[in-house]
Amino acid sequence: MEKFKEIIRQYPFLGFIIAFFILMAIPSIFFTDLYQSHLSSLIFINIIVAAGLNIVKGYCGQVTVGHVGLYAVGSYTAGCMFMYLGASLWITLPVAILVTGLFGVAFAIPSFRLEGPYLALATLGGGEAIRLFIENGEFFGSTYGISSISQPELFGITFDTPDKYYYISMPIMLIAIYFSFSVLRSSIGRAFMAVREDPISAAASGINVKKHKMLAFILSAMFAGAAGAVYAHLPPGYIHPNNYTVIEMVTFLAMVVFGGLGHIWGGIIGAVIITIVYDLTRPLYEYQLFIFGLTIVLTILFMPKGIGGFIDKYFIDRRFKKKQGVASK
Amino acid sequence: MLLKTKKLMKAFGGLKAINKVDFELPKNEIRGIIGPNGSGKSTFFNLVSGVYDADPGSYIEFDGHDITNEPPHKVGELGLARTFQLLRLYQDMSVINNVMSGYHTLVPYKFIDAVIGRKKIWDQEKVIKEEMMELLSFVGLADYAEMNASELSGGQRRLLVLARAIAGKPKLLMLDEPAAGLSPVNVDNLMKILMRLKEKYGLTLIIIEHILKVVMDTCSKVTVLDHGEKIAEGTPSQIKDDNAVIEAYLGKKMDDEEMRKALDV
Amino acid sequence: MKKVKVIFSSLVFTASLLMSTIAQADNIKIGVSFRMLSDVGYKHGMLIEDTVKMWNSQGGINGKKIDLTLYNDECKSEKGVANATKLAYQDKVHVIIGSSCSSVTLPMVPVITKAGVPQIIPHSTSSKITMTGSEYIFRVPVSSRFYKIVQGKFTAEQQGKKIAYIYVPDQASMVFAKEMIKYMKDEYGVDPVYQVQAGEKETDFRSYLMKAKAANPDVIVLSGLVDETVRMLVQSYEVGIPKSVHRVANSVASKVEVPTNAGKAAVGVVYSAAFAASDTRPIAKKFVKMVKSKYGVTPGHDFSQMQDLLDMLKPALEQVNFTGNLAADRNAVRDSIAGIRNFTGLASGPISFCAAGSPECRDGNKTPVMIKYTRGGKNWKTAVAGTVTFKPSEGL
Repeated sequence: MEKFKEIIRQYPFLGFIIAFFILMAIPSIFFTDLYQSHLSSLIFINIIVAAGLNIVKGYCGQVTVGHVGLYAVGSYTAGCMFMYLGASLWITLPVAILVTGLFGVAFAIPSFRLEGPYLALATLGGGEAIRLFIENGEFFGSTYGISSISQPELFGITFDTPDKYYYISMPIMLIAIYFSFSVLRSSIGRAFMAVREDPISAAASGINVKKHKMLAFILSAMFAGAAGAVYAHLPPGYIHPNNYTVIEMVTFLAMVVFGGLGHIWGGIIGAVIITIVYDLTRPLYEYQLFIFGLTIVLTILFMPKGIGGFIDKYFIDRRFKKKQGVASK
Repeated sequence: MLLKTKKLMKAFGGLKAINKVDFELPKNEIRGIIGPNGSGKSTFFNLVSGVYDADPGSYIEFDGHDITNEPPHKVGELGLARTFQLLRLYQDMSVINNVMSGYHTLVPYKFIDAVIGRKKIWDQEKVIKEEMMELLSFVGLADYAEMNASELSGGQRRLLVLARAIAGKPKLLMLDEPAAGLSPVNVDNLMKILMRLKEKYGLTLIIIEHILKVVMDTCSKVTVLDHGEKIAEGTPSQIKDDNAVIEAYLGKKMDDEEMRKALDV
Repeated sequence: MKKVKVIFSSLVFTASLLMSTIAQADNIKIGVSFRMLSDVGYKHGMLIEDTVKMWNSQGGINGKKIDLTLYNDECKSEKGVANATKLAYQDKVHVIIGSSCSSVTLPMVPVITKAGVPQIIPHSTSSKITMTGSEYIFRVPVSSRFYKIVQGKFTAEQQGKKIAYIYVPDQASMVFAKEMIKYMKDEYGVDPVYQVQAGEKETDFRSYLMKAKAANPDVIVLSGLVDETVRMLVQSYEVGIPKSVHRVANSVASKVEVPTNAGKAAVGVVYSAAFAASDTRPIAKKFVKMVKSKYGVTPGHDFSQMQDLLDMLKPALEQVNFTGNLAADRNAVRDSIAGIRNFTGLASGPISFCAAGSPECRDGNKTPVMIKYTRGGKNWKTAVAGTVTFKPSEGL
């Protein structure tokens, strides 16, 4: 077991290949209906957004409430490219990532001067402005939405049903997680944390605070863009400005907070649990928002670092006690 | 000269926090900066490290580079490290990550390599981590490496801040009251570690300290600031007898006996 | 402690197993997805629940009980699509009722078509929905393509052709105004004297109304959701648009909140809908009384359409011979619904479907009614200004 762990640590992508094969097998073993595939795709999309949000919010500590706007930019880049050019996911995905990355620059600029609630307000305005712009723009289909966005084709297979689309959203999600892990585990991730904890002190250590804030915003915007494009092509391929409101933003934030702000697995755990819980409570629609709000409040009160922080604490305490035990002997 | 300032000036409104200070520091020296509260010691640090912009006409040179009004991270990259009076620890990061983020400027790999997650990065990270663990055991914090910095005691925090500042292998280390709030035993311990670090890494040091004993014992030369002006400079024994210094500290002249008491030497 | 946990978890496990077996018995399953956020939204949900409860207590449909699954889609297409997928594949319902918002119903259509589940729409009016050509979609309300004609004709011939339009970005509101603008241009060759799209959730429309007033129109079209319609009506008097200028609203005006909250400003407003609470037929009177006593509101056409939908669904289900084969049963339900001809319920006209998946066949109600408020406030009153029955292909 130890040896296995060591190998994974040395070749991180091995873990992802194993995860890929496990996730490939899951539908045929466990899934009984198409809805589970659809839900899985939604979970994967949420994971991508939450993993990106964890970079800027969890690691770099920049309070952004406009991320859903970037998600919308990703979706609408893909949607418009389909509508006007008939492009498929293979083209819209990279373009959406790039375009959303550019929008990320715009979101990063206020963070140079503002922080905390003021930055939250500025980004909230940015996110809402994007949605309203789409809603009022004929070019973007305004409130008609964009419909019948095509599903991608590969090796002669059209991934046009939820069970097939699973095999599109899943690898993209894994690649996104892989990138987020690589970045966050490197010196860049540490620099992000240093900027979050104390920008002055970080600068004294030679960390360019502005550059890293910018980097965090761009990276997380790219994640949101990728998620947006994957969502736009999700069967039945329909996007509408109503899906990018503040409520969705709060849900994304809840995922990151619940999973553990600044924990490498934070956004991922949160996205999985919150999407599933949200689905299970669907029949209790009268109480759904109440349950949701209560969960967030209780998490912040009793597990300020979310589930990730909770698990971490357990392991570190155990390791520390072990060491202390050895020392006292 | 490692560090040189010419006519360094900074005014906050009408208050001249630093007024035309000329300062020179050769390599391998331990310099103490003393002065009463509000004399401009911390402002001097903030100006040199780039936290504040100096007023026009000032000139700061570090290791042959003009660093006047350079942003702090540029100054840091050139090899000037500092600690803060208020510590400014990364509370919510593990001890080892605190130290490793101090190594930031020396990280050998490029951003794009990190994004792709190439294998060589993990090897390099491993080396960095080992090196930093060594540093931690040097200051006696190796056992706490995985713990959150916020869980450390006051004395341990001061050691961690020191370790973080040294992690980037600076040419010059500026310490802002490193011994504040420590018990006499811990102060001695800190001084010992400091001296050993200086030997090991070939550091040049500037120390601001209120506990005059620390300054008198460790520094080879002392600069005295008062009301933003340099009023004296010399060896500790010269400073002890300097009338201007005594007046600045105590407001009147004293005999030797009183003076010893006041300075606790 | 551990024992308690084991016992508890095994209890939960068996309970959930039992639940699933109960649900698996060969009941008829109906799935519902619509916007149940607002006050009235909940009440529509209650109306369905109560009606199905009543059916079950009366012995069900041909002796079979009915399982009802209600989901909220919050008027968001993402939720609506998830609900439709869940209802179709996981809950394995025989028929889906939904949704309220056109922007949610539209993406649900390809999902249910692929899954082969019939869906009946209680509220969405956008003409685009049935134009998708799905064989599984049925619409109880009047399509926007009929509304625009009846409204356009009535306005042009009886009120005037100098028209100012103010509309909000909500899909139904926007479609109503834009289709009417287009109709006036195509049929009568007139352009609007003023037209503007207000911002989302805007509450002060006075600047738009002032500009509209300056254009000196005969008619002013105020197309919004409930709150916005009320505000626009009240504010139109505040900026001094005289009573002689006719005010036209979209079918939202049939909701009770409009006359109640707009008060005097509602008087004279003309709108087209599928049901008027002032309807004097005994069946309508009885329904208005029932809703008033049970749910505490005077029903607009959204209530009546839900009731009509349920009333026509029951006999349609009764005609189906359920075999236990889900796909076959669903198709049988679809065919049975498609066989409904001239259903006369609360709606302004007979509702008919037919087999083809075309708008001609699937836009059930082709008889919008023009309604005018004669009194505002709590004891509001309406009068029917006229009804038209269209040919199935009109307005395409």
